[in-house]
Amino acid sequence: MSRINKNVILALLTLTSSAFLLFQLYYYKHYLSAKNGAGLSKSKGSRIGFDGTQWRTVKKFIMLTSSQNVPVFLIDPLILELINKNFEQVKNASHGSASECKFFCVPRDFTAFALQYHLWKNEEGWFRIAENMGFQCLKIESKDPRLDGIDSLSGTEIPLHYICTLASHAVHLVVFHERSGNYLWHGHLRLKGHIDRKFVPFRKLQFGRYPGAFDRPELQQITIDGLEVLIPKDPMHFLEEIPHSRFIECRYKEARAFFQQYLDDNTVEAMAFRKNAKELLQLAAKTLKKLGVRFWLSSGTCLGWYRQCGIIPYSKDVDLGIFIQDYKSDIISAFQDAGLPLKHKFGKVEDSLELSFQGKDDVKLDIFFFYEETDHMWNGGTQAKTGKKFKYLFPKFTLCWTEFVDMKVRVPCETIEYIEANYGKTWKVPVRTWDWKRSPHNVQPNGVWPVSEWDEVIQLY
Amino acid sequence: MDDWKPSPLIKPFGARKKRSWYLTWKYKLTNQRALRRFCQTGAVLFLLVTVIVNIKLILDTRRAISEANEDPEPEKDYDEALGRLESPRRRGSGPRRVLDVEVYSSRSKVYVAVDGTTVLEDEAREQGRGIHVIVLNQATGHVMAKRVFDTYSPHEDEAMVLFLNMVAPGRVLICTVKDEGSFHLKDTAKALLRSLGSQAGPALGWRDTWAFVGRKGGPVLGEKHSKSPALSSWGDPVLLKTDVPLSSAEEAECHWADTELNRRRHRFCSKVEGYGSVCSCKDPTPIEFSPDPLPDNKVFNVPVAVIAGNRPNYLYRMLRSLLSAQGVSPQMITVFIDGYYEEPMDVVALFGLRGIQHTPISIKNARVSQHYKASLTATFNLFPEAKFAVVLEEDLDIAVDFFSFLSQSIHLLEEDDSLYCISAWNDQGYEHTAEDPALLYRVETMPGLGWVLRKSLYKEELEPKWPTPEKLWDWDMWMRMPEQRRGRECIIPDISRSYHFGIVGLNMNGYFHEAYFKKHKFNTVPGVQLRNVDSLKKEAYEVEVHRLLSEAEVLDHSKNPCEDSFLPDTEGHTYVAFIRMEKDDDFTSWTQLAKCLHIWDLDVRGNHRGLWRLFRKRNHFLVVGVPASPYSMKKPPSITPIFLEPPPKEEGAPGAAEQT
Repeated sequence: MSRINKNVILALLTLTSSAFLLFQLYYYKHYLSAKNGAGLSKSKGSRIGFDGTQWRTVKKFIMLTSSQNVPVFLIDPLILELINKNFEQVKNASHGSASECKFFCVPRDFTAFALQYHLWKNEEGWFRIAENMGFQCLKIESKDPRLDGIDSLSGTEIPLHYICTLASHAVHLVVFHERSGNYLWHGHLRLKGHIDRKFVPFRKLQFGRYPGAFDRPELQQITIDGLEVLIPKDPMHFLEEIPHSRFIECRYKEARAFFQQYLDDNTVEAMAFRKNAKELLQLAAKTLKKLGVRFWLSSGTCLGWYRQCGIIPYSKDVDLGIFIQDYKSDIISAFQDAGLPLKHKFGKVEDSLELSFQGKDDVKLDIFFFYEETDHMWNGGTQAKTGKKFKYLFPKFTLCWTEFVDMKVRVPCETIEYIEANYGKTWKVPVRTWDWKRSPHNVQPNGVWPVSEWDEVIQLY
Repeated sequence: MDDWKPSPLIKPFGARKKRSWYLTWKYKLTNQRALRRFCQTGAVLFLLVTVIVNIKLILDTRRAISEANEDPEPEKDYDEALGRLESPRRRGSGPRRVLDVEVYSSRSKVYVAVDGTTVLEDEAREQGRGIHVIVLNQATGHVMAKRVFDTYSPHEDEAMVLFLNMVAPGRVLICTVKDEGSFHLKDTAKALLRSLGSQAGPALGWRDTWAFVGRKGGPVLGEKHSKSPALSSWGDPVLLKTDVPLSSAEEAECHWADTELNRRRHRFCSKVEGYGSVCSCKDPTPIEFSPDPLPDNKVFNVPVAVIAGNRPNYLYRMLRSLLSAQGVSPQMITVFIDGYYEEPMDVVALFGLRGIQHTPISIKNARVSQHYKASLTATFNLFPEAKFAVVLEEDLDIAVDFFSFLSQSIHLLEEDDSLYCISAWNDQGYEHTAEDPALLYRVETMPGLGWVLRKSLYKEELEPKWPTPEKLWDWDMWMRMPEQRRGRECIIPDISRSYHFGIVGLNMNGYFHEAYFKKHKFNTVPGVQLRNVDSLKKEAYEVEVHRLLSEAEVLDHSKNPCEDSFLPDTEGHTYVAFIRMEKDDDFTSWTQLAKCLHIWDLDVRGNHRGLWRLFRKRNHFLVVGVPASPYSMKKPPSITPIFLEPPPKEEGAPGAAEQT
């Protein structure tokens, strides 16, 4: 009897379990199709380039954007590089003569496009239509940094990135926002909690690791591989911008805290100085840009940006840094042409060069040239009376973009190290009396200029 | 699972087949008993585990699927998640079918609690008098609208009738009286209360207390009332406790076609009440207007900042008129809300616009002024390429040709440095003093109420020295100060392109509105071609004024200018009158004249170098202040300027009049 029971139990168990197995299979299928976005990264060997999946995805994407009036242009570094190499050929190619797929079929993980957000009219319906066309889209939003500078505003979030996949190829749509200072900004691609981290191999994205800033490019229409796309008119310039496009936002919150502690100076003189300094900086930036010389905010101007997102009203000058390898001999004449006469010139190109120009209303523009050593950077100072030399040491740094008084300018990315080297750990406390020979934390005596050289290295006007 | 036993009633189908297959397999192993035992237990264990795992899996998928079904658009689950947060899942397990509602009415305090949550509490002194009305969603118990109608004061009962009529049938209505709610509760309102089923409402008397809960168009769910025993005392406080049965969500919602617009509409209508036909199930009023595009629109890319507070109904009316104006570009519109109010944000979202909330800084007019500053700064940050911004307020109607008017005139701001702004509002443009939609003026005052601000003016002059939060100044008064205006002028139309309809405001009340704003003329003609726009430039305007004065007929200065007969009964003539004005800031006679003309007389508006231009009886009427105005030389020597004396002191005029 017990044997039979056992057998019956066994049989029943088998039966139920096989029934369950069937269920499982059935549901699993459903489960998969509901979550099919996840399938992409898992599907191995999508035979890149061979069957033109990339081309077809891009084609569909372009169809979508042109039908929905989504103002996009191509920024994919790989493809722009190819276009740039074959620029003449691309320009001359007549429409439709796409015998072979040269650009959009190149093996790659993503195709990157930029979206000009300010030209976009119908944001709302777009997503749904993309999905109806078969795209799986991911939208990454964040708060609007343009409102950060203002006390206490909170807006609706703005889109920063879209990633749309179709047939195992993904289009990365980087949303470019207009910022004050005539440049385009894109945000950091930050994956929030609810986002499927395996949606695409995010690490391989070309944009979004950091926020970025670009000059507003002029665009042109070209036809490649039978597809009409907009690309920057000067692809070379755009490509050169990419590696140095990292953008850092001013620390508005900290700046507000600073002003709560120390109060802003709103006297007429302070306002006048800020206005003049701003104009001087704008003029300097324009002049240097024309020459193609990189510069960054240095010393007090940099501190003002970092600490209070503005110009320190009692600083009395504008300080810029330039790498000595970027030095051009026509800098002085260019500034003079711009209406800024040379006030003094210390040092020489080989050693401790420093230029000072006279702006209007007694605001001075100081340009310090930075020299690179194996483990640090430095710039020099010279005391006119004695011919004494000084050296200011900084840890090595790279350059980032930021926005300052309605301008896109560079600052050291490693700002805190830079500022602490210069002003010490107490940089947060305003200091009104400043002796450039003694106050900085990183100043070192550096000997004396030989008297024979004084005529060259100490020029006062 | 442990005590699972096969039911003897169910003969497993297929067991036999299974069994024979099992037997053949079993006999192969028969010779090794131990091994067989082992295999058997192994098999049983394995099967048990499979069963458990599978059941778990099924349960999991079930749950996942039901969750997905709850959420109609899984791909938009970010937005949805936000929406879901709003709907309170009452007390955990499943939807509750009954709400308990408490309503309290008394002289100095009212409160309403729904399921123990206080949704209204007002015990402030000297505030919140009248009938408080709350609308609940009949399916969720959500508060959809909260209003107070001060029916002690005139006309408030009309607003209440309007509001109650707009509430969709089926909604739960809660009314409670604070202090006094009957003095100006007229018959229409009482009839409406009767139609809601109220017994006490229609009979509400002086200083009675009253609490009412009912369904719109349905049964009364509870009512309590206490009569005031004497004129000088109040009714006893009443506390009404009642259960409100909830209906199903199906009933509470409309079934509109599934479009993007209707999704917005749906989100809006399930949250708030009191917007009338926009939420009507049958024939909802459109929320997209697509007005005709404006040919050669010069203001298409000019950002529009709408400055708003917590007056969502005003905002709704304002945005409707704005979005219906020819040449509007919705993507350039940003609504700045002073405070973290939800309902104005809902209105903004209904129209698919951008809304930005602003943490209030400071108090009273300084708060408004800080809100303006933040909004203007943000506007130029969001649209860094813009050279101008249009500034609007939430209590304005916008004329159909508002953008056309700006498009035709905006080049003046670029070309003429002596201009401060272009405004759509003529302070002196009343029904009886404005006539010509194609005519523009230059005035030394800044009218506001729909105006264009130049970015350079804001960024270089105004922003750096904007009044700080501790200064209790009106931003517009500040902007009118000579230090800011620096002799520059504004362009205004004869007939205003905006209409100020707000009667509730910081410095505004019903009486003030009726006296100074209600009879303002407002252009309703589309596509008006402005005349001779370039003659508004500094020098050209002087030529124009001189021409006008030369051809103007001098009025009979012996007559009383306040008399209607001061101007002849003609049409299309130009007349001039000279009044006494000793110095640039002597407006004694003008103020008296303005008073008797029934135009703005609280301060001086609309003047240009001692000249005022308006219309009387369809004639262009010029008033020149002699001898301060440079146009005094046009005065014939025989004419003595009119002098009007101010009435003997009984100054009680409201101080600085508001334009906000």
